Amino acid sequence: MLLCCMISSLVVTAQTKHTGKVIGSDDKQPVVGASVRIKGTNTGAVTDVNGEFNLSLSSGNVLVVSYLTYQTKEVTVQGDQYITISLEPANTTLNEVVVTGYQTQRKKDISGAVATVDVTAAKVIPTSSAESLLQGQAAGVTVVESGAPGMGANVFVRGISNFGNSSPLYVVDGVQQGDMRDVNPNDIESISVLKDAGATAIYGVGGGNGVVVITTKKGKQGKTRFTYDAYYGTQRPLGGNPYGVLSSDNFAKLLYQIQPANPLLNGGPQFFDYGYQAGTNVPNSPKGVANAGDPNVDPAKYVLDPNNSANDYQIQKFVKGAGTDWFHALFKPAPMQSHTVSASGANDKNNYYFSLNYLNQQGTLIDTYYKRYQARINSNFSITSGIRVGENLSVYYTESPQGGAGVGGANIPGGNQSEGNSVSYSYRMQPEIPVYDIKGNYGGTWAGLTQLGNAVNPVATQNQQKQDFSRNWVIDGSTYGEIDFLKHFTVKSMVGVNITNYFYNNTGDNPYYSGEGHAIDNNFNTGAGYYSNYNWTNTLQYNQIFGKHSIKAFAGFEAKDALSRTMSAQVNKLFSLDPAYVSIDNGDVKSVIAHGGPGQEYSTLSFFGRLDYIYNDRYILGATIRRDGYSAFFPGRQWGTFPSLSLAWRMSQEDFFKGISWLQDLKLRGSYGTSGFNQNVGGGNAYSSFAPNFGGASYAINGAINSAIGGFYAKQIGNKKTTWETDKIANVGIDASLFNHLDVTAEWFTKTNSNLLDVIVLPATVGGASAPVVNAAEIQNKGVEFSATYHGKIGSDVGFSAGANITSYKNKVTKIASASGYEDKNFQRQNDALARAQVGHPLGEFYGYEVTGYWNTQAEIDAANANAAAKSGKAGTQYQNGNNSGGESLGDFRYRDINGDGVITDADRTFIGNPNPKFTYGINLSATYKGFDIATVLYGSYGGKIYNYTKYWYDFGDTFAGNKSNDLLFNSWTPSNPNAATPKAAAVGSFGTSGSVNSWYVENGSFLKMRSLTLGYTFAANMLKSVGVDKLHIYVQGVNLFTATKYKGLDPELQAVDSNGLGTDIGAYPNNEKRFIFGVNLSF
Amino acid sequence: MKKFNSKLIIPGAMAVLALSYSCKDYLNRTPVGSLNTIILANKAGVDGLLIGAYSLLDGTYSGQQGNTWMTGTDNWIYGSVAADDAHKGSTPDDQGPAGDIEAYIATSGNGYLDPKWRAMFAGVQRANDVLRELPLVKDGSVSAAYAKEVTAEARFLRAFYQFDLAKLWRNVPYADETVTYDNGNFAIGNPGPVWDKIEADLIAAMADLPATQAEKGRVNKYAAEAFLAKAYMFDHQYAKAQPLLADLINNGVTSSGARYETGFVKHHFADNFNALTKNNQEGVFVIQASVHDGSNGDNGASGGTLNFPSAGPATCCGFFQPSFSFANAFKVDATTGLPLLDTYNDSDIKNDQGIGAGDAFTPYTGTLDPRIDWSIGRRGIPYLDWGIMPGQSWARDQLDGGPYVPIKNTYYQAAQASTSETYEGWAPNQSVANGYNAIRYADVLLWAAEVEIEIGSLDKAQGYVNEVRDRAADQTGWVHTYIDNAKPLGGFTNTPAANYKVGYYGAYAGTNGGTSNPTMGFTAQGKDFARKAVQFERRIELGMEGHRFFDLQRWDGRFGGPMGAGFMATQLNGYLNHEIHVPGFPSDLLNKAHFVQGRSELFPIPISQISLTNGAIKQNEGYN
Repeated sequence: MLLCCMISSLVVTAQTKHTGKVIGSDDKQPVVGASVRIKGTNTGAVTDVNGEFNLSLSSGNVLVVSYLTYQTKEVTVQGDQYITISLEPANTTLNEVVVTGYQTQRKKDISGAVATVDVTAAKVIPTSSAESLLQGQAAGVTVVESGAPGMGANVFVRGISNFGNSSPLYVVDGVQQGDMRDVNPNDIESISVLKDAGATAIYGVGGGNGVVVITTKKGKQGKTRFTYDAYYGTQRPLGGNPYGVLSSDNFAKLLYQIQPANPLLNGGPQFFDYGYQAGTNVPNSPKGVANAGDPNVDPAKYVLDPNNSANDYQIQKFVKGAGTDWFHALFKPAPMQSHTVSASGANDKNNYYFSLNYLNQQGTLIDTYYKRYQARINSNFSITSGIRVGENLSVYYTESPQGGAGVGGANIPGGNQSEGNSVSYSYRMQPEIPVYDIKGNYGGTWAGLTQLGNAVNPVATQNQQKQDFSRNWVIDGSTYGEIDFLKHFTVKSMVGVNITNYFYNNTGDNPYYSGEGHAIDNNFNTGAGYYSNYNWTNTLQYNQIFGKHSIKAFAGFEAKDALSRTMSAQVNKLFSLDPAYVSIDNGDVKSVIAHGGPGQEYSTLSFFGRLDYIYNDRYILGATIRRDGYSAFFPGRQWGTFPSLSLAWRMSQEDFFKGISWLQDLKLRGSYGTSGFNQNVGGGNAYSSFAPNFGGASYAINGAINSAIGGFYAKQIGNKKTTWETDKIANVGIDASLFNHLDVTAEWFTKTNSNLLDVIVLPATVGGASAPVVNAAEIQNKGVEFSATYHGKIGSDVGFSAGANITSYKNKVTKIASASGYEDKNFQRQNDALARAQVGHPLGEFYGYEVTGYWNTQAEIDAANANAAAKSGKAGTQYQNGNNSGGESLGDFRYRDINGDGVITDADRTFIGNPNPKFTYGINLSATYKGFDIATVLYGSYGGKIYNYTKYWYDFGDTFAGNKSNDLLFNSWTPSNPNAATPKAAAVGSFGTSGSVNSWYVENGSFLKMRSLTLGYTFAANMLKSVGVDKLHIYVQGVNLFTATKYKGLDPELQAVDSNGLGTDIGAYPNNEKRFIFGVNLSF
Repeated sequence: MKKFNSKLIIPGAMAVLALSYSCKDYLNRTPVGSLNTIILANKAGVDGLLIGAYSLLDGTYSGQQGNTWMTGTDNWIYGSVAADDAHKGSTPDDQGPAGDIEAYIATSGNGYLDPKWRAMFAGVQRANDVLRELPLVKDGSVSAAYAKEVTAEARFLRAFYQFDLAKLWRNVPYADETVTYDNGNFAIGNPGPVWDKIEADLIAAMADLPATQAEKGRVNKYAAEAFLAKAYMFDHQYAKAQPLLADLINNGVTSSGARYETGFVKHHFADNFNALTKNNQEGVFVIQASVHDGSNGDNGASGGTLNFPSAGPATCCGFFQPSFSFANAFKVDATTGLPLLDTYNDSDIKNDQGIGAGDAFTPYTGTLDPRIDWSIGRRGIPYLDWGIMPGQSWARDQLDGGPYVPIKNTYYQAAQASTSETYEGWAPNQSVANGYNAIRYADVLLWAAEVEIEIGSLDKAQGYVNEVRDRAADQTGWVHTYIDNAKPLGGFTNTPAANYKVGYYGAYAGTNGGTSNPTMGFTAQGKDFARKAVQFERRIELGMEGHRFFDLQRWDGRFGGPMGAGFMATQLNGYLNHEIHVPGFPSDLLNKAHFVQGRSELFPIPISQISLTNGAIKQNEGYN
């Protein structure tokens, strides 16, 4: 093929040799492959890799210079021997340089599915986690955010690919890493998302979940530029009564209705005035409820002994009337701010970009925050012609209140909280319980009786975090050297690192305000860890253009290595929790528990290559191959090969399209290939192993009461056959540029992920060791993506642009290895799992009984029971008693008899809702008028279902003592209210009420959010010049001004509980709180 | 700057690349922080694996499914709550699956059963790990004699775990040391009972175990013999059990060499439930527990973590509340001092159900077996050294669990610091060092009595029962009043805390002054009476210790027991009928409870295990 390429070149008749160069007026870079033709002749040339051409010309010749993404220009030849022709860009994005795997390509030359994120539009949303920038900005990317400060987002490229880690691979300035949370949005130059195998296969065994490629800024030619970008704003908690829970008086009414003997009640639908409880050192340890005047609640008796809860005598006054608004005791307005200053510049040879960032997002959930201090230095130097070196370095420090294990990050109680966390406690705390007791200490479930429940005062829990912290020091960066040689070759070697050092301190008070825990000793725990990974990447690149043939090829070698170390320790019974005092040494030495050790080291070796061949600027071929070896698999299963092939045809270059003036570009693309994924397996998976474990494998064999002898237990069953996940992706795409203003891309894909890594549950008879991760299942995602952007102008003053993208995928489990043919996932407090992974159904689909209504009349019950008796042949059989579940009664849910056997049994469970949205979409609109600009970002999700598990806690009279819903009091089933929101209000539950996983919990999770609305003003340049300012832009912004949804919980945007718990609300930190921001962008 | 010659550098770069190719070891990253069978192939490794196999005797392990209270070998839920000893307790919504077990409406998907099944098989395989490792030891560190003993201990442990499975489900798979993941033979079916296999393991263990051990917690020959006898009792092979029980009674010693204590002169009934006096002369096989040992409470008596009053010694969680019927069983005839075998449940002993903690209350004044107040915490009576049990404020939810609280697993206030610990950071002082008496000597005596009734001498049987009753009659072992009620740590008087009385069956001298009742002898009253008396004695001697359900199952005729088919159903439905009619005790759970003859004698096999073995495991009768 090379030979063939060399032959073809335009031949010209000699007059005077002229040399010229074509550059773009926008970036001053050479335009490669531009056509330079002498007007009125067939004589011409195509510019080479340096943008240069040679032609024999006569003075007065008119050159017609055309290149797809630039406006065609005519130049009359004068006497100059060297002509520089500067082309004005056409209004299209085809020339955009897009960063793809290990290289950059012009958008028009790309044959794979690569989405670019409009960073300018994306970064307007104030966020402490940069993954959020992707939301609604790229077709094919689904992003689920959390409102919790510093909490990363769930990002899925083309659906959920597997049972474990479904995150894409992030490549920041060439360094492969697990997230992009702490990249300062102001530092980002570009983000591209690689979606199909044509684009991701170059990342081999790491690319299966898609790849997000981020590049940070470089200095631009010209004088030194300083910028200051800042915003300050306030975040507002959700108003009203977001969970719809009862006031104190109404709660008493409900209790009186369903449980008249409840000892909290003072003879009627009202509470006693006080609750009290004494520790074991107080004679008889009295506890109970009493009215004012009762000697038991004499304030003189009050004792709170922080060092010995046995001496406590606590008294709290119940709140009547509206009661305590726990939600708003927990969620308060909170500020958020970010400041970035940068300096950048460049000359012909060198460039630099330097920035400092301070971010501080306080959470609306009290005492939560995320702070980051960050510096970035990017610099590039041309040492001599053809030799370049450079580095990208980001060093940052983060701080948040709650630490925890987990490499490199604060374990912020974010996304979806469990029943033991503050958001859930906001409805699990009863309204008559005061935040503070009669002496200003915390009130809680401690005083009085069991009927107060076992929730823990969440204000106390949060306040206690004031002195907790997690601190992380992180170095992310890379350095490279690059040499051009033999004209067409470049060799590059890069070392990238990510190094994290963290430590955290957590203190725990004696939770005297907790019903169950008020004798727990205070405690302190601390931990530290180190994590590092590096990748060393070497590539050899070859670029050459022969006439109509453009060849780009590269080959690479890469080595990656990651390791971690952790240490943590915990101690009880400290004399004081003063931050200056707490240390492991200062507690009860006998209670010290320490953990730690080396983490598994993982290494990857890779060889890869890519060829891009373009013929005549219209036929494009891309081929990649990568061979990866990964250490976590057993020798023999370590190496995998990942090829891909992509083809594109720029139809608009063909003659038959030439006449169509409104069509600037039309490209048809197709690709097929494989990539892999290897993250869902641990390094010891291939090996059966044993370990000591002081809790789980030691025994007081000598009969001692305070010591045990250590032993070993079988910890892990090994599987030597386990290997990587394989993703096969077929993709067809169309890119079009129309009317000079409109860019449209549509994609169709099928992605089959086979050999998915998962632990398959084994029968108990194999023993208690952890089952190995095996290649267990296959999932298929099929989808369609569409995006369009339009940039327009009306007159000279009004500019506007509109962008929209839509992502739709269908997820289906196509194989599962377990003996039963399904795996139950997502266990909550209800007996059964909420979701079942089963062949033919999407991952995460809810599974349970289908509720068809309530039992409204005894006649209905009798008829169903008669039918049950008839069908089963056993007299007395009840319809809803197939599993001995107690039968049905009026006001219970009526379940559908799926198998028609007349009785409800486990076999009548069915699939009751798919949490995967049918599609998600983003819309960006912006307009400018003179100095003013207005922009909005909308994001929506349609068709996903939510299992609103929070209702289990407040919509039933029998579930844990806690606050209950207005629905339960005012809109529960009664004979006269058959279309009720909840089953009958009763103190006792049954299989027909709170006792089953069923479709009643399933709600429509569709939503549309106005993520931001920004109004800005740019001051006129001439006004600013006198003060030395180039640009000054100020703006006000509203975030989450509205969320349109039918979902009854706080926010339908729900992070996964775990990788299998999609769309499940177990008390999530909402992400639809309004924020009001004032910001400024200044450069000088 | 010196000008580089790129032609020099490029080959250099290539050389570096080439060098990288040769890093063959780069992908060699064996697992860190763990051991393998090669490292363990020596005596210390085998010893460690054996300790690991022992450590599961409490029923809990690292990474288990469910919680410790679902899997404990004290079997509080399966042996006692599912029978007539106790209610689940706490509130109705708390541990719902346990409530379903209590009410005999547990399905094969019940959240307690699968963890229990898994925990016991985890124990089986830990014992198998020892047996698999032994042959790999080639370094000479394990002598043939030692290997023999280790094998015996491992086989005993395997039998222990298989036994617990057999009690709950009867038809269970049996996994020996050939069953491994690599062999692919782990999906084992359950064609029927595995008593023969359990017996074979125990026979082998008994043959090779020494009579005494250097460590108190290690199994000895007699413990294996006692378990073998127990297996024969479950297998209804009385003739095989008889000589074993006789040998135990005549010659048995604990692992530390103490003679099983005929006459119980050196220790009291209550010493069996006190961490400081465990492993005493009655401890045939005691499951060890320890606290403040660095395990964050994990090595305590795990099964009973929730089983404390919700105030007093602990602050949580109010489970395992003795039933009204169980309390009534301690009523004795005012004249004979013998239990009211047929009429005990005709009326309830006075209790404080529905009476506020602040309201006046005088406890029952009728005659009671003194063991009641070591078995039940009841209002007005000293609760160890914690003070007078105050009633309602200690019961988590009287309306659901009744007025009584558990006591056998509780520690003394004076010893709280050394015998209790917070369990995994959240259950304060609820991890305790009390040992669980898997088999204590009273068990042996009462089995011997049963055997004698069935195939031997009623007189002999009566003697064994009276030996147990004689210990109960020892007034020094009764609960006494405090010197000062306000200072429970200040010691006790010699005044009994309630109106206690113990009588003997037939003419019996006794050593502790119980009442002799010549007309109430076993021979005089006949075999049926004798059976009833022995069964009743087991109930009050061993109540709240996780045995009752399995005793009833053993006596029921469904699997060959002497009491005929339907015995268990009659007993337990009668119990339910009593409980639901107690005034002021609306327990809705028990209202819907019904013991189904032919089904409820066994628990449903976890549906997950049936599907995971592709149906190789068959469900027990009556369940789906």
